[in-house]
Amino acid sequence: MAERYAKIWIRDWWNIFCHELKQIFSDGGVLLIFFIAGLAYPLLYNVVYLNGIVSDTPVAVVDDADCAESRRFIREVDATREISIAAKCINMAEARKMMEDRKVNAIIYFPRDFGRKLAGMETATLSLYCDMSSFMYYKNAMIGTNFVMLHEIGQIQMERYSLAGMTDQEVSQTVTPLGYEDNNPYNRASDYSFFLISAILMIIIQQTLFYGMSLLVGTQREKNRSFASLPDKLSGNGVVRVVLGRGGAYWLLYLGIGMYIAFIVPAIFGIPQRGSFGEVLALLLFFVTDCVFFAMSWSTLITRRESVFLLFLAISPICLFLTGCSWPTVAFPKFWKVFSYIFPSTFGVQGFINLSTAGGDINAAGLQMKALIAQTIIYFFTACLCVYIENWVIHHKEQIEEKRDQLAKKAGIDREEDARIITGR
Amino acid sequence: MYDWKGIRAVARRELRIIRNRPLYLVGSIGVIAFCAIFFLTFLNDGLPHDIPIGIVDEDGSTTSRNFSQQLDATQLGKVVRYDSFSAAREDMTSGKISAVCVIPTGMNEDIQSFRQPKITFYVNGLYFVSGALAWKDLLTMVYMSNGAVQREVFRAKGYNDRQIMGMIRPIDIDTHQIGNVTTNYNYYLTGILLPAILEMIVIIVLIYSLGTELKYGTSRHLMNTAGNSIATALTGKLLVWTIVFSAIGFILVLILYHQMHFPMAGSIFNMFIAMFLMVLASEAIAIFILEMLPVPRLALSVGALYSVLGFSLSGFTLPLEAMPPYIQGLAAAFPIRYYYLFHVQEAIFGTGFAGWWKYVIFLLLFLFVPLLGIRRLKDAYINQNYPKD
Repeated sequence: MAERYAKIWIRDWWNIFCHELKQIFSDGGVLLIFFIAGLAYPLLYNVVYLNGIVSDTPVAVVDDADCAESRRFIREVDATREISIAAKCINMAEARKMMEDRKVNAIIYFPRDFGRKLAGMETATLSLYCDMSSFMYYKNAMIGTNFVMLHEIGQIQMERYSLAGMTDQEVSQTVTPLGYEDNNPYNRASDYSFFLISAILMIIIQQTLFYGMSLLVGTQREKNRSFASLPDKLSGNGVVRVVLGRGGAYWLLYLGIGMYIAFIVPAIFGIPQRGSFGEVLALLLFFVTDCVFFAMSWSTLITRRESVFLLFLAISPICLFLTGCSWPTVAFPKFWKVFSYIFPSTFGVQGFINLSTAGGDINAAGLQMKALIAQTIIYFFTACLCVYIENWVIHHKEQIEEKRDQLAKKAGIDREEDARIITGR
Repeated sequence: MYDWKGIRAVARRELRIIRNRPLYLVGSIGVIAFCAIFFLTFLNDGLPHDIPIGIVDEDGSTTSRNFSQQLDATQLGKVVRYDSFSAAREDMTSGKISAVCVIPTGMNEDIQSFRQPKITFYVNGLYFVSGALAWKDLLTMVYMSNGAVQREVFRAKGYNDRQIMGMIRPIDIDTHQIGNVTTNYNYYLTGILLPAILEMIVIIVLIYSLGTELKYGTSRHLMNTAGNSIATALTGKLLVWTIVFSAIGFILVLILYHQMHFPMAGSIFNMFIAMFLMVLASEAIAIFILEMLPVPRLALSVGALYSVLGFSLSGFTLPLEAMPPYIQGLAAAFPIRYYYLFHVQEAIFGTGFAGWWKYVIFLLLFLFVPLLGIRRLKDAYINQNYPKD
């Protein structure tokens, strides 16, 4: 008996699995999403962010002081990686014009008394005007000038301290009583692309899967078929077969696409892959499984083919922010923090960054793995529930219609008139 | 020359369609409302604070305790204490803390006897904003500690505070952040993200609106209503949608620059111009996509693929100059790119017309793009000879 049951189960599962694969490969729109978006977009985004380090931000200088110190400062700023001196302007008006024309992104201004104040052992102040239209400009202008300032301060301090009667050894000791050594081990050059690409890659997996699956669900609903049709002879049983059969088809496809995105794409573009292959693969398996059930649950809401784009396209940039890779998780408002738990990408991205890009061991993504497993279980049950409800609705269509007519009569609504208006006849 | 009666009839027809399909209003007004609420509340703090920084205090002296207390007291940082470096490092790798700062054994004694001890810190640069802020906070603390030691030395030598200031701080930088004084991420990101989402909505909703005529075979009815003129048909439909999208855009501008007081060096009315032109240009793109691919399902997928690129190619996060040349060329095909450039001139520099007239012309040029395929769309509408879904 049990053996027969298992046989039927597997045969049903296999039929549903093959049917779903056929559906996928006979739909141009879905193929476009899965294979153009899924395969080409990771490459495209990598090309866009290929050079994630902005170097030599052009800066204008207005040197009213015109002294040895200001000239040395300018030379040193020009030598930094962050800044290149693009113009020496005679006054602020000219520099401002250049900034408005976007020929320079910052202005360094030395006031007339800069040299005099330095000679008089006072604090000399220079001004930095930053164009805040992109924080990358601001960051470069700040880092470049501040490093030169600190270096210059060290130099000047040495001169002044020896004038104050200190010995050479005392001077060098007093200038930096406390030293520091800074490390940015996972992103040495503060490369913009490392964190963003890692996040975008995982989000592409989740979103393309969701959009593609929703397209199919919408199409089937439009054709008056159901994504959830059970084999008739089972009389309402076999929900799990449908969920696993359909899910298996996407799972198989996305295991391939996912491995391409998580292993091959970073290798092509030199995104760090510091994790062990097995651990990243384990994370990917959990993530893809989670995404499949996530997409199956949410795609139930889609009643027409196109509505997924109208309703849910804008969720992609929101997902990117909810991963916490740019705006830190600690600064999330509470509500949005809870909201972020809806999406597999929240944990998938963090896990991928910690494991693959930072190269932590499996513990570094332990929390995310647990969350992914919990999500998978929840979404598996919601996916089953959706199939069950859909089936119930199909088999009870007449009763539901009857109930509706009754309710409409009670409320005094003419449903036939409504139908005429909607179809426009 | 224009068939006003036809245009009115088409517009009335469009309004009826919108009224009977809630999807249109949910997809436009509903989506932008959700996104506006999301970004405006999500980034409401402007700049993150209390970023967790791990401290491994191997010294355990008053100086080291003082150091971590002061770091904790800064607005940016919040100290998490660890007993071992390996535990701290693990938490940094897993993103729980943004940086680790190691205070070496004997730091206090070494400072007192001028043996120049070294504090080591590690920053997780993969969580970009928090990493950069933690690094800045730690660096500031080190310099402040240095200043405190130096101040003591010179006090002992009998200098007054003014002289000491000149000794330990010979140069200072007075930073002016033009267009965003407080480094507010909400001003920086939301001001461009919401218009970019609007561009996305315009393209998707309009492709859908024009495409469903093909899909449900109602395009002949549309052409009949329009007196068989594609120009009348498009004008009628666009009239309705331009009003809807521009209204959304103007409300966005009002919310951002009036209600939320985003920085605005110029005039809010000029931002209305930018918004209106961006809406028109995006509509032109939508029509063009459907003209080239009069199959609604494919056109929508292409529209989706196109519009998500706008976020990156507007160049407001990673500047366009840093991208490869061929990508820079591609960015010219996105209305949001010109909206961003317009915004820089008006909101940040306040240059007015002299600064942004070029972008107005670029945005207007988009309006010619649909003319390329207008015949193709007309044929498709009349013959309905493309796959329907």
